[in-house]
Amino acid sequence: MKTIVLGVGNPILQDDGVGLHVIDALRPRIDNPMVTIETASTGGMNLLDMIRGYEKVILIDAVKQHDSEPGEVKRFLLSDFHMVHSSNPHDVSLSEALQLAEQLGEKHLPSKIILIGITVNSTYEFGEHLSSKVASAVPTAVALVLEELKNT
Amino acid sequence: MKTITIDPITRLEGHGKINIFLNEHGDVENAYLQIPELRGFEKFSEGRRAEDMPQITSRICGVCPVAHHFAATKALDAAFHVDPPVTAKKLRELLYCGYLIYDHILHFYFLGGPDFVVGPEAPAAKRNILGVIEKTGVDVAKDVIKHRAYGQRITAILGGKATHPVCGLPGGVSKGLSKDEVKEIKDMVASCNIFAKFTLNLFDDIVLKNKAYVDLIRSDPYTLKTYNMGLVDKHNKVNFYDGLIRVTDQEGSQLEKFEGKEYTNHIAERVEEWSYMKYPYLKSIGWQGLTDGKKSGIYRVGPLGRLNASDGMATPQAEKEYKRMFDTLGGKPVNSTLAFHWARLIELLYATERAKELIEDADITSVHIRNPVGTPGEGIGVVEAARGTLIHHYHLDKNGLIMKANMIVATTNNAGAITMSVRNAAKGVIKKGQVTDGLLNKIEMAFRAYDPCFGCATHTLPGGLPMTVKIYDHQKKLYRTFSQP
Repeated sequence: MKTIVLGVGNPILQDDGVGLHVIDALRPRIDNPMVTIETASTGGMNLLDMIRGYEKVILIDAVKQHDSEPGEVKRFLLSDFHMVHSSNPHDVSLSEALQLAEQLGEKHLPSKIILIGITVNSTYEFGEHLSSKVASAVPTAVALVLEELKNT
Repeated sequence: MKTITIDPITRLEGHGKINIFLNEHGDVENAYLQIPELRGFEKFSEGRRAEDMPQITSRICGVCPVAHHFAATKALDAAFHVDPPVTAKKLRELLYCGYLIYDHILHFYFLGGPDFVVGPEAPAAKRNILGVIEKTGVDVAKDVIKHRAYGQRITAILGGKATHPVCGLPGGVSKGLSKDEVKEIKDMVASCNIFAKFTLNLFDDIVLKNKAYVDLIRSDPYTLKTYNMGLVDKHNKVNFYDGLIRVTDQEGSQLEKFEGKEYTNHIAERVEEWSYMKYPYLKSIGWQGLTDGKKSGIYRVGPLGRLNASDGMATPQAEKEYKRMFDTLGGKPVNSTLAFHWARLIELLYATERAKELIEDADITSVHIRNPVGTPGEGIGVVEAARGTLIHHYHLDKNGLIMKANMIVATTNNAGAITMSVRNAAKGVIKKGQVTDGLLNKIEMAFRAYDPCFGCATHTLPGGLPMTVKIYDHQKKLYRTFSQP
């Protein structure tokens, strides 16, 4: 199955960039012509452009949950996230971008989108390094992605 | 169905939080949009190689990477005492047009436009691109997607990479244009021009021919009489990439015009203890608090700020539309916040016309695209981001490393105006402690017009942004909370 592993995050906002750190750790461990590894520091419509044409998408991203400590790794399906309207000030969500693409009758949309989320606390400070709790979650996230790829 | 609640993180987190304070009569005394500010940019930049700044700063924001990239590149031109070759400047400006095309299209059809196209009273769940498709049909939506992608493609061809350009260097750019690329860009630009005109017609049909909308645009809660600011060329026409910063007053007369490098003589920043935000204001006028009028130094930037601060557009089709907007809305300046949407579409048209001029320019395929740099020093770069004036300011040491860095981003320039617009919209819907329908919509419309962007985390989850409005009574006790998912 043609698959893309996509790490999302901002490389200069500390823990927000954890998805990119996971990709760095994954690269040497994936050698499969059916699997593309990419990073993105952008939102909905641009992400849609990147995942078009793949059957399966594994997104790796920072998430924030009220009931979680930083550094937990969780697997979600895109459908776990309920749709909200476009109140994001400047971009649409990936869910919304996908809904739009479906409505326009686009083919070549992924049939399966999995999210590997690493919980973080908010950070308001610039920096390239992860906090220790979040850094220690990177190997777990790597293992989860590799596990996910076995079913590919 | 299982629902997971996840907050958008970092800077966006506080973005949707609005606090409203009532007086003892239950009327709005104050209101503000809470925006935590990102910290530590200066420290983060210290000791870095200056030529890395265009790449680093383009990561600050997932929306304005191109604007940050070129504000940084221009600051480096100045810091290294080098004037780029004419072709490099034209390539940069052409790339910039691509950015404006996709950014303005995204805002109108996905973000700001739905309030009008679907209707300000429509439920929140309908006021989005999907609601727009329902109303305008699938073909229009396909055109939206296509032309937004063209804008992206233009920036990718010239920038070397989609979304985050890597072409800007002190003294020029790293990549020229091939004949094939020229042909491809020409075709895309021609199509974008037709689409820009279509979009202005759509705005006419849906908004301007509807008296209720025009009344809303001109209504008091959405009116703000501030100064206006934007970059202009030597004929005082709007320019996004280069020029002087011009400020006009509430009558449309020029207050001041200065080079970007003089900005600290003209702009000061006020810190209010109750907010995270810094509020810039004009030094020559002074700070009078969050109030509009001639005595208050608060100004607006962005599409409406730019059109108000200029004498017109430098291309013929956009110039015609510029005149029509001011004629329709009662002359210059237009103080109606919702007119930002119209101004944005006029700029979209301009960007397509300007891109056509540039791609047809004989210089554009020249291979002379970089000049050698001089000794490092201090540099200031100013561009017009889609959402307003953006300033980067660096001090370099003798080895070309950053000693000090400062930025004023577009939304910060608009901070005072956004806060007042939110307050005025709240006043329109809250009277004597009674909250009328549409509170959230009406407040959201007020700040959305500015297309605000606060430098951001770029993660995808959950994507949308919950908005919460908290109303406090005169004893600062929480009175009511409204939120939409």
